[in-house]
Amino acid sequence: MKVILESKVRKKPTIPIEAEAIIPRNFLKGTDLVVYEGNKERTLSELFWIFVEGTAVSPENIEVVLKGDTSRIKRVGEYMDTGSILISGDIGMHCGNFMSGGTIEILGNADAWLGREMRGGTILCRGNAGHYCATGYRGEKKGMLGGKVEVFGNTGDFCAEYLAGGEVHVHGSTGDFPGIEMRGGQLTIEGDATRPCANMKGGTCVILGKVHEMLPTFERIDRIVLPETKITADVYKGDVANRGKGSLMVKCPGPA
Amino acid sequence: MTELLVRNACVIDPIRGINGEIMDIAIRDGRIVESVSDRAEMIDARRCLTLPGGIDSHTHVCGTKVNFGRYMSPEDMRAGRTRRRGRMHVTSGYYVPTTFGNSYRYSAMGYTTLLEGAMAPLEARHTHEEFTATPHQDMLANTLFDGNWAVMDAVREKNIQKTAAIVGWTLNAVKGYAIKLTNPGGTEAWGWGEDLTSIHEPVRHFEVTPAEIISTMIRANELLRLPHSVHLHCNNLGKPGNYQTTLATFDLVPDLNPDRQTLYATHVQFHAYGGGTWRNICSKAEEITRSINNKPQIVMDMGQIMFCRTMTMTADGPMEFNLHCLHHNKWSNHDVELETGSGIIPVTYSKKSAVNCIMWAIGLELALLTKSPWQCLLETDNPNGAPFVKYPEVIGLLMSKRYRDEECATLHADTEKRTSLHALEREMDWFDIAVMTRAGQAKALGIINQGKGHLGIGAEADIAIYPIRTDSLDPAREYRKVVEGFQKTRYTIKRGRVVSRDGEIIVDGANATFWTNARIPEDLRVDNDPEFIRRFQEFYTVRMSNYPVQEVYLPRGRCVETESFT
Ligand SMILES: [Zn+2]
Repeated sequence: MKVILESKVRKKPTIPIEAEAIIPRNFLKGTDLVVYEGNKERTLSELFWIFVEGTAVSPENIEVVLKGDTSRIKRVGEYMDTGSILISGDIGMHCGNFMSGGTIEILGNADAWLGREMRGGTILCRGNAGHYCATGYRGEKKGMLGGKVEVFGNTGDFCAEYLAGGEVHVHGSTGDFPGIEMRGGQLTIEGDATRPCANMKGGTCVILGKVHEMLPTFERIDRIVLPETKITADVYKGDVANRGKGSLMVKCPGPA
Repeated sequence: MTELLVRNACVIDPIRGINGEIMDIAIRDGRIVESVSDRAEMIDARRCLTLPGGIDSHTHVCGTKVNFGRYMSPEDMRAGRTRRRGRMHVTSGYYVPTTFGNSYRYSAMGYTTLLEGAMAPLEARHTHEEFTATPHQDMLANTLFDGNWAVMDAVREKNIQKTAAIVGWTLNAVKGYAIKLTNPGGTEAWGWGEDLTSIHEPVRHFEVTPAEIISTMIRANELLRLPHSVHLHCNNLGKPGNYQTTLATFDLVPDLNPDRQTLYATHVQFHAYGGGTWRNICSKAEEITRSINNKPQIVMDMGQIMFCRTMTMTADGPMEFNLHCLHHNKWSNHDVELETGSGIIPVTYSKKSAVNCIMWAIGLELALLTKSPWQCLLETDNPNGAPFVKYPEVIGLLMSKRYRDEECATLHADTEKRTSLHALEREMDWFDIAVMTRAGQAKALGIINQGKGHLGIGAEADIAIYPIRTDSLDPAREYRKVVEGFQKTRYTIKRGRVVSRDGEIIVDGANATFWTNARIPEDLRVDNDPEFIRRFQEFYTVRMSNYPVQEVYLPRGRCVETESFT
């Protein structure tokens, strides 16, 4: 079953929409869902043109497609556990919060907090992602626990903060402090990064671009050839400032 | 004129010696009266347990330290959220909720009066502002004097009168209620990165010992005739083997007041540890309670811990640093110039930790081994041992040996070896619980005369009606019903108005703040003492004239005048 939600033109398009109801499972019983526009309760049909194609008996066969201006829609896919969501444009903050299964694909850019505290499933972002991509929310000691977030563009600052499990792959560059407070999991940055992995406790981070302002509290222990890419990388242990046991691999400078 | 009549209440009112009598309570204009007209509004209590409004004699709900706990734990603000509803503001937080969250949850549990356990004088304004935003409970502020420079100077000079004059002036200036000493001397030592390890170790630069500070302050307190006694958080909190410090401190305390205790020792659970390391820590509750049972001049509170995630916050900066070194978690540390300090860290008490299990058992042992319930009051040092919403569970544990045994079966195996909780058969009754949660507090805080803690004619009509039928409920077996019953009153009445019904707040609150004003002879007043003024102007970063809290910060202040120096 395919549910297509095409956003209607709104009088005040900058007012955010809180749409944690938009997960595939909820469409099993129809499209009669409630979202909030600012502090006003709205039915889905007030904000979207809704087209349903086919039927489904179980939620894993449901695909939700979001079209139109979706850049201010927040919390799409929150607690999603199965099925798939395709977003043809940009998406607002907190997309895929606490997601545990299924797939979200964003063809445009994602705002901040993409896949925060994710537990499983897959998020593909074809554009850029904002700050705090794949992290824990304020004060949370364990961020993403499982699943995969793949960003084909760049991300903002604090990418994969408090990463504790699962995989984060950024094809572009990250901003300041990627992998800060990492506890576990795998972070790969193909582009550049600034001050990576501060206060890292565990997990693995691989950076194939340039590292700006490498922290002095990482101890170089080895030089290896990465098996998949055949790139030579320095291996650091850290963050030794707080007896961290994470491993940070950075591509060696020099001719490629 | 507003009148209210509570009918068919099953009243336990320990201060008046009433134990489970079915009676009517008449209320006019906020006070309990002999009778009311037939036009009075009526509540049928249906023979449910009816107690004077609950009083917490040691909790941390307002002030800079509590607020910093809020800053520090945004994750907690995701817990305990409630929407705006009727008269209720939106609330959030579980172990450090918003002020309204605190107020509503206390009210739902039948609590109508709270003593904030530690207010730094210099940060009093903020505390009073938060009092105003905790509208359903009357508030009192313990005022910190543990590292007060002027006090320590006066103590060194062995000048009780001067000490009293400084305390009296400060309480008046900051609208405080009572003297609080938190790790006396230790908080000043912490300003130098040190702590004191014994009550006879002098504070650097001041050359006074905790023992001298405590003894002098006790006498100054009685000279000022303050309603409450000195309120003490002993030295060496949370250190294995600290029970000896606690016992030595208790031995310092003379019996100076016929109406109440001479020392209130708070959260004694944290001060009742034997052993010398975290590996061999054990309970010394028997030794502590033996001392208490022989010293009517001391009242303590439990400082019970419960297994949960919470936040520790205290003026005891060095202790919090030690905890931080154990947990490696976030930590906040403050210095309050010339007065005190504070520290804050989050903790999780876990059943997997032998130390936590022993702590849990010690708190219960203290209560069960203290012969008189008037001498061991129920609290968790909210939120240090557990958020106050856990009180009903503590009550359940005290009333049911079976509940304790069932809990013990889930604990670390060492608990039984290093505490004697499993051997204690005592089960508290409804009267004991009424003492430990309101009457005892009213007596200890000296607020019986303010109409608190009892339901006699003229008392303030603060009443809690719980959905508990004491004639048919056996607390030893049906402890879950006890816990449930104490979680939510059917009615909480505050000054004659129903404020909470079945846990729902139905009116805006209008609390009062009690503070003490001791009259000090002109020749002793520190604001007439050029040396005091000179030192104040020299050392504080605020002017002495800007230091006092203006009345505007206490929209409903209630001054308790005392006939001091007589
Ligand atoms: Zn306390």
